[in-house]
Amino acid sequence: MENRKALVVDDEFHIVQVVAIKLKNNGFDVVTAENGSDGYDLASETLPDIIISDYQMPIMSGVEMIEKLRQNPETAHIPVIMLTARGFAIEDEQKEQLRVSACLSKPFSPREVLATIEDVLKQDAAV
Amino acid sequence: MKTEQKIWIALAAAGCVGALVAMIAVATSMPTGIPIVAALIICASIIGNLVVLFKHADRLQKIASALSVGSQVRMTAAYPPDSLLKEIGTASQRFMDETNEKVKTLQNENTDISLQLQLTQRRKNSIEAILNSIRDAVMVTDDRDRIILANAAAETLFGFEFDPLQPLVTEEAVSSDELVAAISKCRTSKTAHVRHELTFEKDEQPITYDTVLSCVEDDKGNVLQVVAVLHDITREKEISQMKNDFVSHVSHELKTPLASINAYAEMLVDGEAEDAETVQQFCGVIQGQAQRLSRLIEDILNISRIESGLVKVSKKTHSLALVIRDSVEMITSYAQEKSITVHSPASILYDQVTIDRDMISQVVINLLSNAVKYTPANGEITVRTDLNEIEGQITVMITDTGVGIPAEDVDHVFDKFYRVKANNKYAKGTGLGLNLVKQIVETVHGGSVFVTSTTGEGSTFGFVLPLLKETATQTV
Repeated sequence: MENRKALVVDDEFHIVQVVAIKLKNNGFDVVTAENGSDGYDLASETLPDIIISDYQMPIMSGVEMIEKLRQNPETAHIPVIMLTARGFAIEDEQKEQLRVSACLSKPFSPREVLATIEDVLKQDAAV
Repeated sequence: MKTEQKIWIALAAAGCVGALVAMIAVATSMPTGIPIVAALIICASIIGNLVVLFKHADRLQKIASALSVGSQVRMTAAYPPDSLLKEIGTASQRFMDETNEKVKTLQNENTDISLQLQLTQRRKNSIEAILNSIRDAVMVTDDRDRIILANAAAETLFGFEFDPLQPLVTEEAVSSDELVAAISKCRTSKTAHVRHELTFEKDEQPITYDTVLSCVEDDKGNVLQVVAVLHDITREKEISQMKNDFVSHVSHELKTPLASINAYAEMLVDGEAEDAETVQQFCGVIQGQAQRLSRLIEDILNISRIESGLVKVSKKTHSLALVIRDSVEMITSYAQEKSITVHSPASILYDQVTIDRDMISQVVINLLSNAVKYTPANGEITVRTDLNEIEGQITVMITDTGVGIPAEDVDHVFDKFYRVKANNKYAKGTGLGLNLVKQIVETVHGGSVFVTSTTGEGSTFGFVLPLLKETATQTV
């Protein structure tokens, strides 16, 4: 069975690294980007099963990246989990509009990230 | 009756008779001798009457007074004239006494009223002085929606001139429909005390007022007046917003390293580090992030201490060139890691400044450290000083050949928590370093900071400090 693919986007290197290691250790192929612009390019190129993205990033923010992803028919369906240091940075309305599957606020637990990814992928598969 | 009185009465009576006879004589053309006699008699009687009148003038006056005011004097023939006059005199005296008493009472009351008027006038002046010295706008409207009292702050706020003799209509004088409606609602609802937050435009700037409206009622509960007090809370709201932003920024900045510490510690606990090298790497991340957290907290506390004036400053006379030289030495190894060359300034004479050496060292190190962070490998950093003895100041400039700062960001780089987004990828930071530089130079040392930059070419950060007025020869 082919490994599931995950894209981790965060300008904080240590966050990207820890999430990537957790996912790799649990059977994911992981690609990483340090801003929204690079994240969109990688998503378009690799078409991951799931994207884990930071909210605030230089060059292009997480929200801007998701908006762009939703406009692209090839990436519009990819579920996104958002990591943020601000617990209420995304309003429910915006979350729904962008079809953000889940939000996790920092400091987060890698276990929690993995569990959330599994839940989202299950729901996505069920649909 | 005394003889004297009888004589005079007789003379008077004779006069009257003589007058009567004279008139008859004239009427019947009697011989001329008789009228002469009659005329004499008339003169005598007139003189007698006049004497009587003068002698008893006071009594007659009293009688007249008594009669004119309807005093209870019985004018009967049974009373002898003396008794009558005596009674009239007593009544008149009593009347005069009573009148005098009443006059005195009235005079006292008049004095009291005058005093009360003076007191009321003083209170009015005092209230007006208090009202006009209050920064809050105070306005009183009556039951016809007219402004019957307004202080200077209210006049300035709404741009009207208050004249108590020509009360203005609230709706015409007050530009805020919201306030007019609130006053009207307060009156009709008879609410004793209501609070509104109203925002007006003043000089094209929104100003927010905490507005308190109170009703003044009569005994029957009818609303006579509405008192409006408007307190400007614009600055308070700004401070509150700044505080919220600060807490939000601090929270964000603290959570980022904390997230790494938490995540890597959990990975270690869960055995996700497969080998000793990975364990070592995870521990290194935790340590590094803990140090970052510590620096962040230290920066926040330093800025907070400087802003609140609680920082302990130890100013002494130092040579700024020597402070710069020591700071450059400290940063050299970091610069060498990126193959960046740092050019120190040539030593200058008489660069004595009164500074807190540790603080100014921190300023120079922060600026040098930033220059290294945002300068690509093999770049150059030049530190220069410019002494202006005429202006009595020394300027320190740190120029790099780094990535530069976009024009829209240049004016904000010294702001608290401001990060140049475009340059985030080159280095991590708290967004507090340059603000700390600004606080130390400007707040603690009375100097100024500046920056110029061109994207892709580099930046020059610097600061200006006042020179010691009497150039000291001692160098610490």
